[in-house]
Order: sequence, then C-alpha cells, then structure tokens
Amino acid sequence: MASPMAPPTAAGSRFSVAGGLARLLARFGAAHKKYGVEWWILIAGAVVILFAIFMASFPATLARYDPLDQEAGPQMAAPSRAHPMGTDNLSRDVLSRMIHGSRTILGVAFAAAILSSLIGIPLGLLSGFAGGPLDRVLSLIMDSIYSFPGLILAIAFAAMLGPGVVNITLSVAVIYIPTYFRLVRGQTLSIKEELYVEAARAIGAPRRTILGRYIFPNVIATVVVVFSLNIADAIMTEAALSYIGLGLPAGIPDWGMDLSMGKKFLPSGVWWMITFPGAMISLLALGFTMLGEGLSEILNPRLLEK
Amino acid sequence: MKNLLRYALTRILLTIPMLWILLTLVFVVLRIMPGDPVSAMLGGHAPERVIEQKKEELGLNRPILAQYLDYLGDLARLDLGNSMIYNQKVSQPLLEKLPATLELTMVGMAFTMLIGIPLGAYAASRRRTGRDFGIRLFGNVAYCIPVFWMGLMLQLVFGIWLDLLPIAGRTGPRVFVKDFQNTGFYLLDTLLAGQWASFADVALHLLLPSLTLGIVLSGIFIRLTRANMLDTLKADYVLAARARGIPERRVVYGHALKNAFIPVLTMLGLQFAALLAGAILTETTFSWPGMGRLLLERIYLRDYPTIQGVIVVFAFFVSLVSLAVDLIYALIDPRVRY
Amino acid sequence: MKRALLILALAILAAGAVFGAGKTIVFGTTDKMTNLDPAEAYDFHTWEIFYNVYNGLLNYAPGTTQIVPGMAESYSVNPAGDEFTFKLRRGVKFTDGSPFNAQAVKWSIDRGMALKGQPSWLITDFVDSVSVVDDYTVKFKLKFPCAYFHTVVATPPYYPISPNIYPADKIIWDPAEMAGGQLVGLGAYKMTSFKRDEEVILETNPSYWGKKPAIDRVVIRYFADATTLRLALEKGEIDLTYRTLNPSDIKDLAANKKYTTYKLPGPQIRYLCFETSESVFQNKLLRRAVAALINRPDIIQKVYLGQNSPLYSMVPNGMIYHSDDFKTVMGDGNVALADKLLAQAGFSAAKPFEFDLWYTPSHYGDPEVNMAEVLKVQLEKSKAIKVTLQSAEWAAYKEKWKHKEMPVFFLGWYPDYIDPDNYTAAFAGTSGSAGMGIYFSNPDWDALFVKEQSNADPKVRESVFKEIQKRWTDEVPTAPIWQGDLYVFTKPSVKGVKIGPTLQFLYSELSMQ
Repeated sequence: MASPMAPPTAAGSRFSVAGGLARLLARFGAAHKKYGVEWWILIAGAVVILFAIFMASFPATLARYDPLDQEAGPQMAAPSRAHPMGTDNLSRDVLSRMIHGSRTILGVAFAAAILSSLIGIPLGLLSGFAGGPLDRVLSLIMDSIYSFPGLILAIAFAAMLGPGVVNITLSVAVIYIPTYFRLVRGQTLSIKEELYVEAARAIGAPRRTILGRYIFPNVIATVVVVFSLNIADAIMTEAALSYIGLGLPAGIPDWGMDLSMGKKFLPSGVWWMITFPGAMISLLALGFTMLGEGLSEILNPRLLEK
Repeated sequence: MKNLLRYALTRILLTIPMLWILLTLVFVVLRIMPGDPVSAMLGGHAPERVIEQKKEELGLNRPILAQYLDYLGDLARLDLGNSMIYNQKVSQPLLEKLPATLELTMVGMAFTMLIGIPLGAYAASRRRTGRDFGIRLFGNVAYCIPVFWMGLMLQLVFGIWLDLLPIAGRTGPRVFVKDFQNTGFYLLDTLLAGQWASFADVALHLLLPSLTLGIVLSGIFIRLTRANMLDTLKADYVLAARARGIPERRVVYGHALKNAFIPVLTMLGLQFAALLAGAILTETTFSWPGMGRLLLERIYLRDYPTIQGVIVVFAFFVSLVSLAVDLIYALIDPRVRY
Repeated sequence: MKRALLILALAILAAGAVFGAGKTIVFGTTDKMTNLDPAEAYDFHTWEIFYNVYNGLLNYAPGTTQIVPGMAESYSVNPAGDEFTFKLRRGVKFTDGSPFNAQAVKWSIDRGMALKGQPSWLITDFVDSVSVVDDYTVKFKLKFPCAYFHTVVATPPYYPISPNIYPADKIIWDPAEMAGGQLVGLGAYKMTSFKRDEEVILETNPSYWGKKPAIDRVVIRYFADATTLRLALEKGEIDLTYRTLNPSDIKDLAANKKYTTYKLPGPQIRYLCFETSESVFQNKLLRRAVAALINRPDIIQKVYLGQNSPLYSMVPNGMIYHSDDFKTVMGDGNVALADKLLAQAGFSAAKPFEFDLWYTPSHYGDPEVNMAEVLKVQLEKSKAIKVTLQSAEWAAYKEKWKHKEMPVFFLGWYPDYIDPDNYTAAFAGTSGSAGMGIYFSNPDWDALFVKEQSNADPKVRESVFKEIQKRWTDEVPTAPIWQGDLYVFTKPSVKGVKIGPTLQFLYSELSMQ
C-alpha cells in the first residue's frame, strides 16, 4: 500500500493533486535505475497497451478490410499472405476483425473501469472518512458483493439488461465498484489517523478540504495500480459474457463472440478462428496486468522481497 | 478461547446480512428483466387470457413486495420454491447438479494446488534466477488466459488432434449412471459400486475440465506460495536448519513449505469465488451438467425461482468457505480475534 | 496413457457385452425433451418420443405422407364432412394392463381440451365434441367440415392415453409423477429411464399390437452442443445422430465414407415476419422491397454451406399446390426493384429507410446470427436502406412479437400437419397472424382460407392456394427464405432409417447388422 509516512519532498507539496502526481512521476523516473526486471515488465506491459490503444484508435488505417465485409476472401481460408489470420465462415478477414475488435473490448473495459472508480472511490472516501453507521452499512453491502463471484452477478445483470454496448459496460462496471470502495476506504481509514490530518482538523479545515487535499492525493498511487489490474479483469469479464452469448449484438466485431462462433468449426480443422481471438484477449489482459504489477512494485516497493 | 468464540459468533452473524443483501439484489434484478417465465413457456399460439391465467397461478401479478416477503419467508424455512417452467421443486435440479459442480471445483482446486504450490516453492528457492522469472511469467500468463479458451485449446489438442481424452459430459454414452448413482459424486459412487470401468470413464471425463480450471488459477498460487516461502526462508529456524547441515531440499520442502502452507490454505478459501466463476465457464465449454449450466439455461427460460435458488446456493457456499477460512485464520493467528 | 486407455476400452467392451444380449442403439441429439404430456408438449423432439411411445388413431406410414390405420382400424366420414367415426382396434392393452377402448379415447380428447395446453388448438379449433358410440367406436363431431381432418387426428394431442395413469388435471413432466413411476403408452416402445437433458432409455413394449421392433433398446443421449455431438459420432460413442449439427459438421460427415448419410427433404421453413399493423412496415411497398433484396442462394451458401434449398413460397417445395411465386415476381437480390419500391415510398440514399432487424441467437441453432449478418449485408446493397441488428433470447423474443416491438424478425416453422393450410393460414389468417406477431388481417384472405378448409375438392383447394401464394408476393406478410433439409448420420451397421416428409422417426423401423 502507499506509504503516507513519506516526508514532504521538495518536488511538490503533498497537499495537492498536482503534487501527488508529481511525486508519482518522480518515483517513476528514479525507479528505472533501481528496479531492473520490474521496470522491464512495466515497459513490456505499457508497450502492449499502447499498441492496443493505437489499434483501437485507428483501426481503419491498420486493417486492410472492413470487418463486416463478407466478400473479403475465400470462405474459411487458413492464414495466408493475403489474410495473415485467415478468413472466417462468412468470408470476413479475421485480422481486420481483431483490429476493429480491440476498440470494442478496450472501450468497454475502460468505460467500465472508469465508471466503477467514479462510483467506488467517492463512496470509499465518504465511508472511510465519515465512519459510523453509514460506514457499517456501506461496508456490509460492498463486502457482500465483493465476496460473491463477480462473473455470476455480471451474468445476471447482462441477462436482465439484454445485449448492447451500454448494457454490457454497466454489467461489468457493477462488479468492480466494491474493489475501489474497499481500497479507498482502507486507505482513508489509515490516513485519517495521521498527525497532519488531526492538525488540519484542529485548525478547523472543512471536511471537503481534508478529503480533497490530504487524503485523496495519497490514495492515487494505489488506485492507479488497481485501475490497471481492473481493466485486465474487465477485459476477461467482457470476453466471458460475449462467449456465453450475453454480450453485444451482431454487427460489432467482438473477440469473445468471434471465439464462441469459431469453436463450432474446430472439429473441421479450422483452428485460426479461435486461436487469434483467444490470444488477443490473453495478450491484452496480460499487458494490463504487467503494467499494474510493474507499477505496484515500483510505487509500493516490497523491499523485503529483493 | 473466549475471544475466539466471540469472534466466531460475530463472524457467523455477519454472514446472514451479507447473504440477505445478495438475495435481495438478485430478486430485484430478476423481476426487472424483460420477458417472463409464462411467455417463455408458452408459444405464440397461446391466447392472451391463457397467459394471464398462468401468471395468476404463479403469482406473478401480485405486488413485488408481497412476492418478496413470501420468498424470504420460504427461504427461512429452507424452501427454495417451485420452478415456474418445469413441474419440479427448485431443489430437485439443484441437488442433482450440485455434486457435479462441487466435484469439478474440488478436483480443479486439487490441480491448482498440485501445480501452483510446488512451482511457487521452487521459484522461491531459486529466487531471482531465470527459472524464477520463468515460473512467475507462466503464472501471470496462465491467469490472463481466458478459462474457456484454455478449455478449447485443451479440447483441441487432447480431444481432437490426439484423440486421447473425452471432451464433454461426465460419462461416456455407454456408461449408465443409474447403475452406480448414489451421492452424485461419480468418482466416489463408481468406487462404492465397485465398477472399475465406470470409474476410469468418469475420471477421464473429469480430467480436462478440472485441469483447465487448475492451470488457469494456479498463477495466483504460484505467486502466493513464492511470497510466503520467501518470508519463511528468511526465518531463524531455517537459518538454524541450514547451519546444522540439513540438505537444502529438506529445508525448503520439509520445513519452510509446511509453514508457508497455512496462508495458502486461506488463500484457497478466498479464491473459491474465482473457482466458482471459472467453473461456470468451464461447464459451458465441456458441457458439464452442473450448476453453472443450469443457471444459464434457466436464465434463458426466465425461471426466476431456479435462478434465485442457484444463486442462493452459490452465495451460501461462498459464505461458508469464507467463514471457514476466517475461523481457521483466527485459530492460527490470535491477533485477528481482537 | 495409451495402454491405460486400451485396457479401459476393453473393460468397457466387456461391460457392454454384459449389458444385454439384445440389440441396442445409441442415438445422439442436441434437442431437449420438454414434458411427457401429449396435451402440452409442442416441440419437435418430444413429439418424436411420443411417436414411438404412444400411438394415434391414425398414423403416417413410416417414411411417407400416407395415412394408415393405427389404433383405429378404419374410419368413416358423414356426407356433410363434419363427423368422423372411428372403429377401434380390439384386444389392445396399455402397458399397465388397462384396456384400450373408446372411453379412453374420449377421456384423452376431453382432457386435452380441458387442459388448454400449447397444442390444444389442434383439437379445439377442429373438434366440437367426442362421443362414445360403443366400446370400440368413437365419433368426433367437428366444428366445420374439414377436408384434412384425418391428418390432424394423426398428431400427438389426439393420442389416447390411459385414464388410470394420467391425472385429469395436471401436466406430466416426469415419469415419477405417474402412478407406477413409468410412462405408459400404446406404442412400440416404453420408456424405462428418464434423466432430463442427459439420457432417455426406451425398450420394446411387450403389449404392442404391431410388429416387434428389431432393436430392443434405444438409448437417447442428450448433447449440449453440435460440436460434441459430432465428435461423439466420430469417436464411435454413438451410433446415430439426428438434429442438429452445424453446417460444417454436416459437410465433413457427409464427405466421410465411414458414415451413412441420410438427407431428408424436410418441411422446415425459415422466413422473415413483418409487423404489418403499426410498425414502419405498414406500407407493403417497403415489405416488398425488403423481400426483393433477399438473396437466398447467397445465404444458403455462406451460412449453410449449400445444405438447404431456397424457398420461394410459404408452401414448401414438394408439397401439393406449391408455386414459386416469389421467384417469378421478384427473384433474388433484386436491388433495382427494391430501389424503385423504396423511391416510391419516399426513401433514397440521402434519406434511407432505417429499421431494426431482429433474430434470436439460440433457439434455431448457432448459424442464426450468421444468417442475420448476411441478410443485413444483402439488404444494405440498396443504398436506401440502413439495418441495425438486434437480438433477444427466445423468451424475450416471444414477448416482443406479442407486443409489436419488432418491426421485422426471423422465424421458423415445423408443420403440425402436412397440408398447405398449416403454412399459410397460420400466418395470414387474422387470428393466426396475430399470434405470430404479424397482425395481418384481410377479410378477402380469411374468406379464401375458409374456402380451402371446408372444401374437400382438390381442384377448388388448388385454385385457392395458387391465388393465396400470388397475393402473398403483393402483400408480403412474411418473406420465405429457405427450406431445410435434415441430416441423419449413422454408422454403416445401422439400417432402416425411414424418415419422410412428416419427419416422423420411428425407431421400430431400425435394425442393426
């Protein structure tokens, strides 16, 4: 967890968001020399993610074919020069579908993560700071949801809401709210006891200020790590929902759905329709995981381990 | 001891509101879903008044609060209600399919530990070498692979290309369950009935699905075992054992691992939720007749009571396991009780 | 590992040898059984079990559309055509020992009418009352003179069931609910084991009045999806597959000499339904435009790998009075005609006609979503159309069509009885159309339907159906797309697969070498 015990540095007061971020970046820069392998893990993750974001932002430039074009090539053709990932059963180019699909999955995962954090963080701050019965009730609700297998809840929500990009995002977002809540609440609880917070309260600083300038910046570091890991998890959940058939309607290229469509052709020897979607999902999730872990090692050093 | 008891009691009491929250959440979600069980059952041929009549019968037209209170009341009496689609008590398919999921989950857990713990211990003993990083990488990659894709890949390799293992169901078509049906845990049942051929058949069918679960979830165990082992390996008694000249392997696997094991056990409990989620996806991939597939089928049919029943059972087991974990932890680590 | 498997295989073979000296066939399917009650079941697979476990007053001869005597040895019709009198077979008992007689028949029909199950309209739309003339004679009084009632009587809702076993007021879902715990019928087989969605075991019925089947035991194994079904056949675990394999599986198995392939021209049809009363498709020009853009051969090739036949009329190919009107009037993928109609309706590339096209992802099998995707591309070949694909699972789908929420949607149809009436009146007659979410209503059409239903003269019926099919291309309440072939794959040792246009699969015809 982030160490709120660190003394204020010259790089910036820790009583402002900008200062908090500045501290983050400063540690970042210093890390490179100190942490050999972890640094490279982080870089590897970042590279994968940047590439994915690039793919998702400019799919049309990278993809040679329209992902919905049903005359891109021969039907169910193995990978070849013209189609490096082959074509699917409706003669669509798999590579183009992978490229365009990155936009779908990244979009949903990012949106879900942002939504979860937007709800979970303020609630966590509030609950940790306010304490009392509000804290107890909220904690209870969040713990209940947290301990329950998230996928099952997501399935129930997705089944209820029906197919659609917004609905899937909501279904995925709901299960991560407790994650942010618990994290931020825990942090808030410990920071709340700090001397400088007590001092601020003594001089009569309003609650808003305490929350916003003292507690929040110290929470950011861990939130960033969790955010990255959260996206990895959201990617897997979205893929799982599409695979089960509770995902997006047809017409939007989606890796999970391509995977579930492709498995029908497996016994016929068509391996490329499931190999590439599965590999892409794994790669992307891995990228975010590595980023998150690398960040975690660097920002929250576990010195004992080295 | 008194503190332990008090802790245990508080913990148990805490489980009830948690369960209640989950059940209420699910109840509400289901009632808002479009489509109702009666329309799901009857075809386009059915005239409006027949549908309305069936809805009356099933009590779907009553105010939601009334339905909810009835539901809670039934649950308190451990009555999960009747399916709205099939003429059966909800508990019937649940009791049939629960052993299937539990068997899969338990064997999956066994594989997770079989793969994760030795690898984690080994990685700890070879700290910061290439092998250590290799194992950690494997752990991370395994965790990021979607469990259903792993399942498909294993099916492809072992079921289709090599044609060594079955890829669907719990038994082969020429093995008849009624010959050994007993507890529902087929590994046990076939042994009890003395049917060795059937035992082999059932075991082979379990192999791929539980291996899938095992591999994917082993990543966390690798990391955890490794971390705990590293801590343990620095302990004084390990230093002393080394000083006495005990071979390294005995030190690592004999002494250190034993002590690192307990937190791993608790991690098992916490991972139970992940196991259940993974089990649902594995069940769809391997056509395993368990609770996960039951849930998906009944969602499709809008059979509210069964859907609720499945989730109640899941929630119950998760709570049970997490409770057990907390109690074991409290037993071992006295600090927790205060 | 391989050795362990060899030992295992030998052990299983040995076990199999012990399993009964009689012949056993293992039959794999992806269908599901619903309930066990002829008064309520209305799905393909459950009816198939009924064909083998129960028996009708009249039946279809195996593999044909010819009606032959069943539990009734003969029947006669009164001159007005609205009373059918059946002379029943004597000396037959139900598998529980109770006698089969006219009282049992009347009881069964009355029960079907009273329980108002899904297929009960097959009784209540036609039959006014049933009366017992004597122990072995029963008379049906119809609501109107019906030319094809003998085909209707051969459907499962009319199957006589034993009053001692079936409760008069409840639908049976499980054999355990019946007195004695076993399903009881008059057919060639009786059900000895029932494990929902896993397996069903049928064994020969000793009380059957007909010929004893060659196969003593039929084991039906239920598979969750087509892929595992196909693999089960290839691994030799099952002897026969029937419904429903994926097109790619069918292609591979058909090409494989190791299996016997049966291609059955089936009367299953797929089509588009338009909500004609309130949606954007009220204007028939738009319905015609969409119908004109359908490119059937393209869909069949892309999605079904050429395994189905294009359908140009709601009356299927091979059925009496069929006429390819959609082909002659519109053809396939007729962009020019569509653009013209759209322009007439006021749409163009600048102002395109936008609508939602609905499909249901699982109910009709996996290729459904592909069909929707292909059709969308075909429709958008006209620049004046913009399609958004929407989907809903079957339960929600049925709700939506009832509430007119889907302007155009895919649907499929298996016949209840073999007659063009079942393919036309059900969609365009006022009451049937409303039930299907089409809400088409035209009094001229209703009059035509009444005419063909009450008139036994084939020439009159022919002229009516020709007229209806012609009008269909003008009003287009539905647009036919393809007609499905069904495939059965068996090991070469299995013989006697006789499935005709009725799609009745009688296990009693099977044999093994």
